[in-house]
Amino acid sequence: MSADPNLPAWSEQFTEEAIQQLTASGPLAKLSPEWAWGGSTGKGVRVAVVDSGVEYDHPALEDCVRGGVVVEYDEAAENYVRIEPDEQPCDYAGHGTACAGIIHSLAPQAEIYSVRVLGKDMHGRAIQFAAGLDWATEHAMQVVNLSLSTSVEEYFGLFHDLADQAYFKNVNLVSAVNNLPAPSYPSLYSSVISVAAHSGHDPFIYYYNPTPPVEFGAPGIDVDVAWNNKQYVTSTGNSFAAPHIAGIVALIRAKHPELTPFQIKTVLFACAANTRRK
Amino acid sequence: MPTAKKVREEKLSEQLPRLLAAIEASGRAVSARPKDALLQSIVDAAGHIFGAAAASILLVNEQEGLLEFRVAYGASDHDLVGTRFPLDKGIAGYVVMTGQPIAISNVRQDARFNQDFAQSTGYVPTSILATPLLAGEHVIGVMEVLDKLNAASFGMQDMGLLGIFANQAALAIEQSQQMDQIRDTLVLGLKRLASADPSQPLTELLRQLQKDPGEKRGGPDVLALADAFNEISTLGEPERRACLQVLKTFADYRRSAHRLRA
Repeated sequence: MSADPNLPAWSEQFTEEAIQQLTASGPLAKLSPEWAWGGSTGKGVRVAVVDSGVEYDHPALEDCVRGGVVVEYDEAAENYVRIEPDEQPCDYAGHGTACAGIIHSLAPQAEIYSVRVLGKDMHGRAIQFAAGLDWATEHAMQVVNLSLSTSVEEYFGLFHDLADQAYFKNVNLVSAVNNLPAPSYPSLYSSVISVAAHSGHDPFIYYYNPTPPVEFGAPGIDVDVAWNNKQYVTSTGNSFAAPHIAGIVALIRAKHPELTPFQIKTVLFACAANTRRK
Repeated sequence: MPTAKKVREEKLSEQLPRLLAAIEASGRAVSARPKDALLQSIVDAAGHIFGAAAASILLVNEQEGLLEFRVAYGASDHDLVGTRFPLDKGIAGYVVMTGQPIAISNVRQDARFNQDFAQSTGYVPTSILATPLLAGEHVIGVMEVLDKLNAASFGMQDMGLLGIFANQAALAIEQSQQMDQIRDTLVLGLKRLASADPSQPLTELLRQLQKDPGEKRGGPDVLALADAFNEISTLGEPERRACLQVLKTFADYRRSAHRLRA
């Protein structure tokens, strides 16, 4: 992976000066946040957090974690990974717990599943990540939060297939874009909802960027988040922007179960803070 | 029936072009300066540009499961260099585990922060920005800057900028490791050639290479060879091939001379 100095950091598209005013017209003008998620708690929506694990008994999560799996690198196994059930997930890094905490704060009745693909083992990360994403898609998750990505070019095709597979199975992938100015996958595919950070703190204020690849900007700078060992910290990164959108998507899906991934993206566009409806 | 010696020599002549291609691939970017001086200059530049009170680069020692401070700038002082701590400790450990950069303010309240360790260094920061040094998807180290002057915390733009510095540092480390590998391979090749005829002056070069790599005659010779080959290669494909042919012919000549004496 290499940062490209000629590329702007993705989050620069969501600075105050850069945000563009957009218009939702015709029938799209009727879509409002109130219609989209007003009164919704995300009840019954299954959300997978593919990350460093989730500390299931963290007080901020209020027993919303329903289980999960651990994906481990294993050279002897088929496809180099071994997937084990993880009924009471833990989190060695804190990152996944932070993401789950944000999702839960927006969609308190969504069911969260931990898919642990990051750990102390430094080998085979992209393969573990791919297998975790595949597991989530194949196990009836409706929203998958991906606050991680790979910049390894050779995985472009694999992740593209996995993203398409999710899209066709009616699963919304919400993917944080790379924190560094370099391409990363799967955040740059059109089938996913890609998210970078803006500096606001209202969890329901997000912006749409009409010049993708990165399409949405959500709070991700100096965010107070849950962390492992029952702690809380203040953190910055696109990682913390994605779960804000994942939470909103869970709310929309609970209220409008008939909507498909591309319709949900349209609803998100129409309800963005920089979209005028007329 | 070829003798074992003959087989050895033939393998060497087959390997020479490959060795030379590897030298060519490593390029001139490999500095003759010790690699820590390059890393030090990167960390100094980052410290100045960020207006940070301190900055450092840590390298992963996978075998021992440790992170080691390699170079440091500013308030954290040079006392840090050489200090090691477990891979899963502190913010640097977090970056290794996730391969993601992170910015944190109010570090004192942070559960990830290896408080005891920071206190033992005599410097406890209030804000920190840390980013991985990546070779492909592999985290080989961590670069961090501490306490941005005139600001409460590091932002997303800082994160992008530090990524560029980290990229430079990672390339410097990678290329220096490649250079070490190439030198080792060359030593091996020369060893084979030398063992075929211990009276040849090559054994002297070999001895020099092993005795004091990179500083006395051997290291600069290898670099000079890489330089010369690179320079010739820039002239074009025919020149590059001619250069290889000359070296190959010389190797063949050495072999036949050796055979005549045998």
